[in-house]
Amino acid sequence: MTLRSRCLMLAAALGLSLALAPAAAAQDPRLEARVDGRTRAQLAPILDSARRAGLPLEPLIDKALEGDSKGAPRQRIVAAVRALAGTLGVARDALGRGASEPEIVAAADAIEAGIPPRQVEVLRHLLLSRPITVPLAVLADLVARGVPPDTAAYAVLNLARVQAADAQFVGLRIDVERDIGSGIAPATAIAVRSEASVRDVETRRAESRSAVPGQETPPTP
Amino acid sequence: MSDFDGEAEFIESVARELRAPVVLTPALDERVMSDVRGAPYGASDGAPRRRFWLVRPVTLRVSPLGGLLAAAGIAAVAVLGTMAAGGGGDGGATAAVAATPAPAIRELPTVAPVANATGPQQVSFVFLAPEASNVSLVGEFNDWDAAATPLARVDARGVWTVTLPLRPGRYLYMFVVDGTEWAPDPAAPVAPDDGFGVPNSVVTVGGRST
Repeated sequence: MTLRSRCLMLAAALGLSLALAPAAAAQDPRLEARVDGRTRAQLAPILDSARRAGLPLEPLIDKALEGDSKGAPRQRIVAAVRALAGTLGVARDALGRGASEPEIVAAADAIEAGIPPRQVEVLRHLLLSRPITVPLAVLADLVARGVPPDTAAYAVLNLARVQAADAQFVGLRIDVERDIGSGIAPATAIAVRSEASVRDVETRRAESRSAVPGQETPPTP
Repeated sequence: MSDFDGEAEFIESVARELRAPVVLTPALDERVMSDVRGAPYGASDGAPRRRFWLVRPVTLRVSPLGGLLAAAGIAAVAVLGTMAAGGGGDGGATAAVAATPAPAIRELPTVAPVANATGPQQVSFVFLAPEASNVSLVGEFNDWDAAATPLARVDARGVWTVTLPLRPGRYLYMFVVDGTEWAPDPAAPVAPDDGFGVPNSVVTVGGRST
């Protein structure tokens, strides 16, 4: 076999795999088992486009399965999957190219909840050196509990500014949930708890600094 | 000599007396031991005879294989006990509680703040549906498959429940009553529009994600 024919065969194989890739995205066994062929055909270009953009496919497949399970008509399923793909793209853009799939999904949840993408971007920059899946999930949860999106964002960004740990974000969410459960208005609960959480983070940090020899906290003026 | 000096001398003389070794005659040891040997064993303090076997040392002869089997059995019991307790420790069970048509339980789906846990946690879902014939749980954790996670009716008042392991994360879910009626969890947060006009409930399993 000549070098030219080898190159031709390689190019043909590459072309074939590229041509079949869109179909492969829509050929998830779960979709094949539960979603009718016409819906799958309409989902295929959306899934293919998402795959090429580097977006996570699992939430999109899950959305299609959810729609099918709820008995939604085909056009509604396709529209819901398309809308989610758009949100995932916005989330990924807000997070930057290095974002992990869980981060993209969590950011999309937060954006769907009403958090402006710009706030997601700010959160990313405040916590550059670590995953921000947990703070994003807390953000979406707070809004789901009835905290206004801008207030929730303000609280989470304040915690991020003092480099709070994931457990402290989760703690804020639990405290607010508990307060709301006991009858306190969501906006009041987040206002009180947010301030307390920030103080707690700063206090703990000061204590840990003073526990290390040579790193005493500077005296308060 | 002052009063203080006199007092110090008195204390010193008492201390000298106390420090002096007590000389016991060899006959004392023998007398005590003969009394001990003569006492009725196991009932000398008047305790019931039944207690005797509880305090008697017992020698067990176990082959290496038998020892391994016994250790495996103990470990299995410990694991089953932990699972029955809902994971225990920081990863305690999460309860997502729902009710229909009128919720009688209004507990929040609280989640333990397990900052370093990445493994699955036992999450319990409870639903009140006195008239229902069957109830199932559908959500992102089971591909929204209404046949995948049925709830079990646990009492005559119509309390349905199921517990399943979930990895830390945020999940959307709903209940399906009698295969047709989709019901959100009234005690849980509601996610924004799902695109299909049926709002989902949200449960967040605490932990550090990536």
